[in-house]
Amino acid sequence: MARRFSTFQTRSKFAIAACITSTLFAASVARSAEPLNIVMLTHGAATNAFWQAVKKGFDDACTRVQAHCQMVFTQTDGSIEQQSANFQAAEARKPDAILTTIVDDNALTPMINDARAKHIIVIAYNVDQSGGAAGAAKRQAFIGQNFVPAGRSLAHQLTSQFPKDGPVRVLIGVSAPGQNWAEQRAKGVMEGLDEWKRANPTRTVVIDRIDSGTDLSVTGERVGAYLTAHPDTTAYFDMGFFHAAVARTLKDRNVPPGKVLLAGFDIVPQVLQMMKAGYIQAEVDQQPYAQGFMPVMQVYLAKSFGLAPTDINTGNSLVMPAQADSVIALSQQGLR
Amino acid sequence: MKKLLKIYLQKPELAGIVLLAVLIGLFQVRSQMIFLSAENIRGVLGVLPEVGLVAIGVTLLMICGEFDLSVGSVFALTPMSITLLMNAGVPFWLAFFIGLVVAACVGLANGLITLVFNIPSFITTLGMLFIVRSLTVVLSGGFPPNLPIERMPAQLFVSFIGPEGLFRASFLWFIAIGAAAAFLLSATNLGNWMKATGGFLEASISSGVPARRVKLFSFVLCSVLAGFAGMIQVLRLGAALPSIGDGLELQAVAAAVIGGTALSGGIGNVLGAVVGALLIRVIDNGLVLTQVDANWFKFAVGSLTIFAVVANAWMRRTARHLKVQL
Repeated sequence: MARRFSTFQTRSKFAIAACITSTLFAASVARSAEPLNIVMLTHGAATNAFWQAVKKGFDDACTRVQAHCQMVFTQTDGSIEQQSANFQAAEARKPDAILTTIVDDNALTPMINDARAKHIIVIAYNVDQSGGAAGAAKRQAFIGQNFVPAGRSLAHQLTSQFPKDGPVRVLIGVSAPGQNWAEQRAKGVMEGLDEWKRANPTRTVVIDRIDSGTDLSVTGERVGAYLTAHPDTTAYFDMGFFHAAVARTLKDRNVPPGKVLLAGFDIVPQVLQMMKAGYIQAEVDQQPYAQGFMPVMQVYLAKSFGLAPTDINTGNSLVMPAQADSVIALSQQGLR
Repeated sequence: MKKLLKIYLQKPELAGIVLLAVLIGLFQVRSQMIFLSAENIRGVLGVLPEVGLVAIGVTLLMICGEFDLSVGSVFALTPMSITLLMNAGVPFWLAFFIGLVVAACVGLANGLITLVFNIPSFITTLGMLFIVRSLTVVLSGGFPPNLPIERMPAQLFVSFIGPEGLFRASFLWFIAIGAAAAFLLSATNLGNWMKATGGFLEASISSGVPARRVKLFSFVLCSVLAGFAGMIQVLRLGAALPSIGDGLELQAVAAAVIGGTALSGGIGNVLGAVVGALLIRVIDNGLVLTQVDANWFKFAVGSLTIFAVVANAWMRRTARHLKVQL
């Protein structure tokens, strides 16, 4: 109930912020002679459905404030070197703002600071540097999910569904070892599991980590192999949405829903379908549409009224099976 | 005995089989006898047809002396086209046919651009990799469309069959297509022309081999097999994502090379491609079962792949130097 209320509160904040921004925009549209020039950079590829929801939010926001906008993907999912090249190209165009993910603490820092020195607004979204605002990159705000608490709250939720007695075996699928988003989510999950272990000192707990990949087929096969070797597995945490394939593997093997608890991050239709079928028990919703939409509004407020960009946590809220139906339509439209 | 050993070692696919047997033995012991359990074999063989079909197509093309790096993208485009056509009301078999025609068109475009402009197929298909992947994203609008699985005869492709449901139906398709490709390569004029075209292009043209048409056919066949394999994966996963098949081209080339296909063309066979694809799947699966740490996983996959190719080359070299009395 409290979680639902918190989700409601977060949504309300977005709605209010959007309304205020739209009203301010209506009042000041005559004032802004030059349209804003905004570039959004990501470490993701266009093939990843998650980023399309971010792009949709970004495009919608740009239409509302009539800004000249461009979103730049990488050719390969997770390619930091391509993203840094894209950053340099974007900076050369002297835009009003650059919105970027910070997957690596060092790769983009000099460029971000250089852009800031040139009075370009830089807002981090989706993934922040590991030190947050105190980090070396002088980004002005972070709009996205706080990965460690999100991982922790996912672990809290799933551990509450663990069997009341007997040993527990948990598998953590690190989708992209070495990348901030996957490592920090995994760290959060580990912290949540450690808390549960401390609260249940008599229980035997085994926790394994594997490189589960960022492709449905690969994840399905690798986790499937692990489950073959360890049929006593209690739960699997995926750091993305790739556990949808694990759910399919369990279904193919006629494993009853709930025997292996599944949880992960990011809402896509495939996850929601498997959640409806009972195979996925919890999913963190980081609201990618808001991650694309809100940075543009912050840039607009900063440029039009001198308001400082501020952090927005787009989601530690969890989607549970009972909510799957209501979320599925929004997910198909790219809004969740 | 020595003669037999020489003949044996000279066959690259057989050398691959030895390596496969060694790795299976190793993983079986290290995984506490789980590797060869029915459930695990079911998992490995369920994925094999998808990679294997692509590897067969790439192998045939490499034997012709050409490359296709766009197979991973065609792997995604074909099922995406079929899904979107079905969502527009087109019946499955017609959509399926059109999807394969789309794949064939990509192969034809690869072949024509390579041959007409006389540029390396490596470059043509690298460009096509990006073009086709982008088209897939544009077609889908970035979001995976609903797969109308209830209107698809999925059981013909992915249902479990055989004792203890050890195989998927896709495995039968794989065996049938693999056998047909092996027959084509070893028992038909076209097969000989393929080897001749890749082995010594000028000589083959002088001998009257229609080299350009042979290459065009191989490009088209390679794309169609990739598209067909993509359709199987989408039916297995129940989701038509625009991202599937990313990086598959490298796996397919690796499978072909592990199976003894020469990068320079002219040499190779279908069994080698199958062994190579199976070896890659076994390595991936075995490393999970033996609980290789997440951070070391790619290191282990890479090392074992290099080891497989080096061992293969060593076996062939040993065979060449083996002196036997005839």
